Amino acid sequence: MVNENLVKDVVKEPYKYGFVTDIETEKIEKGLNEDIVRLISQKKEEPKFLLDFRLKAFRKWQKMKEPDWAALGYKKIDYQDIIYYSAPKQKEKISSLDEVDPKLLETFDKLGIPLTEQKKLTNVAVDAVFDSVSIATTFREELAEHGVIFCSISEAVKNHEDLIEKYLGTVVPASDNYFAALNSAVFSDGSFVYIPKGVTCPMDLSSYFRINSGDSGQFERTLIIAEESSSVSYLEGCTAPMFDTNTLHAAVVELIALDDASIKYSTVQNWYAGDEKGIGGIFNFVTKRGKCLGKRSKISWSQVETGSAITWKYPSCLLLGEESVGEFYSVALTNNLQQADTGTKMIHIGPKTKSTIVSKGISAGNSKNSYRGLVKMGTKATGSRNYSQCDSMLIGDQASANTFPYIKSQQPNSEIEHEASTCRISEDQLFYLQSRGIEFEEAVSMMVSGFCRDVFNQLPMEFAAEADKLLALKLEGSVG
Amino acid sequence: MKIIEKIKTNKSIDNQTEIQKICLDKLQSRPLPNPESEQWRLSNKSKFLNFLDYSVNEKDPKFDTPFPNTSQNTIRLVIGDICQIDLIDKNYSIKQLSEDKLVKYIKEQISFFDQNENWSDLLNLSLNCTKNTLGLKISGSKIPPIEIFSHASSNSLNAKTLVIFLEKNCDIDLLQVNLGKDNSSLSQSTFFCLEENSSVNHGVVSYGENKSNLLNSLNVIQQKNSEYNLGSLHFKFNYARFEIRIKQSEGNAKTNIKGMQITKKDEQISTYTKIDFHGPNGFLDQINKSLADDKSHAIFEGSIIVPKIAQKTNASQLSRNLLLSNRAQIDTKPQLEIIADDVKCKHGATITQLNEEELFYMRTRGITLTEASKLQLSSYFQEIISFIPISKERWDLLDKLLNEN
Repeated sequence: MVNENLVKDVVKEPYKYGFVTDIETEKIEKGLNEDIVRLISQKKEEPKFLLDFRLKAFRKWQKMKEPDWAALGYKKIDYQDIIYYSAPKQKEKISSLDEVDPKLLETFDKLGIPLTEQKKLTNVAVDAVFDSVSIATTFREELAEHGVIFCSISEAVKNHEDLIEKYLGTVVPASDNYFAALNSAVFSDGSFVYIPKGVTCPMDLSSYFRINSGDSGQFERTLIIAEESSSVSYLEGCTAPMFDTNTLHAAVVELIALDDASIKYSTVQNWYAGDEKGIGGIFNFVTKRGKCLGKRSKISWSQVETGSAITWKYPSCLLLGEESVGEFYSVALTNNLQQADTGTKMIHIGPKTKSTIVSKGISAGNSKNSYRGLVKMGTKATGSRNYSQCDSMLIGDQASANTFPYIKSQQPNSEIEHEASTCRISEDQLFYLQSRGIEFEEAVSMMVSGFCRDVFNQLPMEFAAEADKLLALKLEGSVG
Repeated sequence: MKIIEKIKTNKSIDNQTEIQKICLDKLQSRPLPNPESEQWRLSNKSKFLNFLDYSVNEKDPKFDTPFPNTSQNTIRLVIGDICQIDLIDKNYSIKQLSEDKLVKYIKEQISFFDQNENWSDLLNLSLNCTKNTLGLKISGSKIPPIEIFSHASSNSLNAKTLVIFLEKNCDIDLLQVNLGKDNSSLSQSTFFCLEENSSVNHGVVSYGENKSNLLNSLNVIQQKNSEYNLGSLHFKFNYARFEIRIKQSEGNAKTNIKGMQITKKDEQISTYTKIDFHGPNGFLDQINKSLADDKSHAIFEGSIIVPKIAQKTNASQLSRNLLLSNRAQIDTKPQLEIIADDVKCKHGATITQLNEEELFYMRTRGITLTEASKLQLSSYFQEIISFIPISKERWDLLDKLLNEN
């Protein structure tokens, strides 16, 4: 069919973030053992409790088995062939951005992330993480005026030790799963956010993760604490250069919302996905979980997953507080030989808790896209509700779309609804749009964007526009 | 675990038939299903072991069918109680399959078995002797309704196998009744082969007594243009598993499934279905309803598999569940695995309780709460039960049984 080929041509935009920054880095030797864990901790001058936390996690990890239940196929990861710490070399301490290596600033500029504070056009504070360490955090003073703490997690360990000790590992315990244990043992950096009582964060906060070296893994950890009646919107973006080796990324994100607090966490994940033959690309194994501890608290995850060779990611909500709310909005796009097994877990523990799941999967090329989700109503979750909707769009007859919802209820006074459907871009619809004078590519992109509308509506302004563009680019040439 | 011990040592399973040998060999290497696999993950372990804890019964005691004979011209067969069947009418013929054919067919099926997925069939075939196997070849038209009974006797494990070949252009109503007894286990495996243009309304009604266990496995192969309608009802079992595997071998076939399971006390009843589309233009409409009360546990797991070859498949699956007690549990997992792009596939799942507004409305009309809930429940059942091919007399009996329950 003419259209089929045309659609396939629309998705072949090269990955534009695939460049490598040539910068001197400090790397430790490959491999993982207790000494490496100690070395990382020592390099970061960490207090004893954190070293103990790492060692405990490492010992647990050694006894654990890599999970194989996901509908993913990838070659075995050699955990001894990875560098667990890599940082751009720079002067001992940086007091201002002027001292940051200009090459680094240039890298982030190229990625469209202005770190220099003159560029205050967008009202977003950024924490930029390059390989294993955080490079810079913008708008710090302004945030400090409101009492908001936004810094890298290593700084937080030094300056806010009590908060870290109190909350780290409370949502995702070190022994939670294989990749979380690995991360707990070797995490290098990440972001820390603390919103004090009653504060609505004056601007969106954002982290930008960049993997630069091809042989080191990235293990960052994010911890966000929203005190009573506070609220924050947090954005996360990821890119990596093109290497023909696979790089491991195993992150942990923990969110804690107390009474009446709300956290909105948005991700646009665009790690390098490997080439058309499936060579290279990031292995993305991420544990993200939020705990709605307080009454009427709310955690909302929205994600646009377009990159990575392998995605294994289930942002979840533990709904403990009465009337707490969990939301999950996701668009996952896979093309070529990408594989994604992603979804969410909504664990209703407290009474009158509510959750909504909207997941849109688009599979093109030879890719595999699975939704895997768990909704559980505990015995005390009286009057709780869940609504899930999972739609898949198939482009071409080589891609696969799977839906695996696990639903469990132990509470009669609760309601769970789940629905899933599969569709494709139909010839009729394309024909109609084309007959109205709309170009083929634009028609396809309009339809994909329409398909994802429910999720895009949940993204912050800047992200929504970016996500729309990203999908159009990624899909160029693959609709049929 | 008596059975497993025996299988391991291969003792006292005398005079093994060829099929028994093949299955025993397969089981000996891995006698139990993998408890971590998706199919067995939620199965209650102690109940499952209890299933295996009886010794095999090969002799059948006298069997009184609970359903009275009707005036209707119904053909009634009891597995394990049949000498020779040869019903030839001018319009139709129902013949017993020759042993060679039966063995050949079962062997062919075994070659497609997955150790874990077909564990129930392997167990059944390794325990079953020729006497408890019924193979039928049905052809023609205007065939009277057929009823086939499988029953367990107390304090034993009973294995029964049924193989049915439905020839081209044939059309039947078949009701299969599985009866559990006090402290007993029943393993029932059914193999159904529908040839081109054939159609069947298949009813499966299984109910037990105190402490009855059931492993009911149903394997259906559908050729082109065949239509398979299944209405099933499982209740009153301490532990029951109903496994349905349907393969539309060349597509272009229709499958309708309406199933229901009722659990009370501390019972566990689960339904697993796997529908495989091996050709284009397949059709599936499935609904599974569960009702869980007291401390019971109801499970539904259904998968729909649509490979590349199965273009224009139209499949829908719905799991509806009523949770009636604070201590009961429901697990449901409808799943879709799709590669073909030009398909319409959807599934849905709900877990709710009785509709309060409807209850309130009925109560304002002077109907008591108990009666109102009964009314609501019977309307919930109705959709499924009306799909089971069952005559008027049987229906009254079933109604009575359900009410008792």
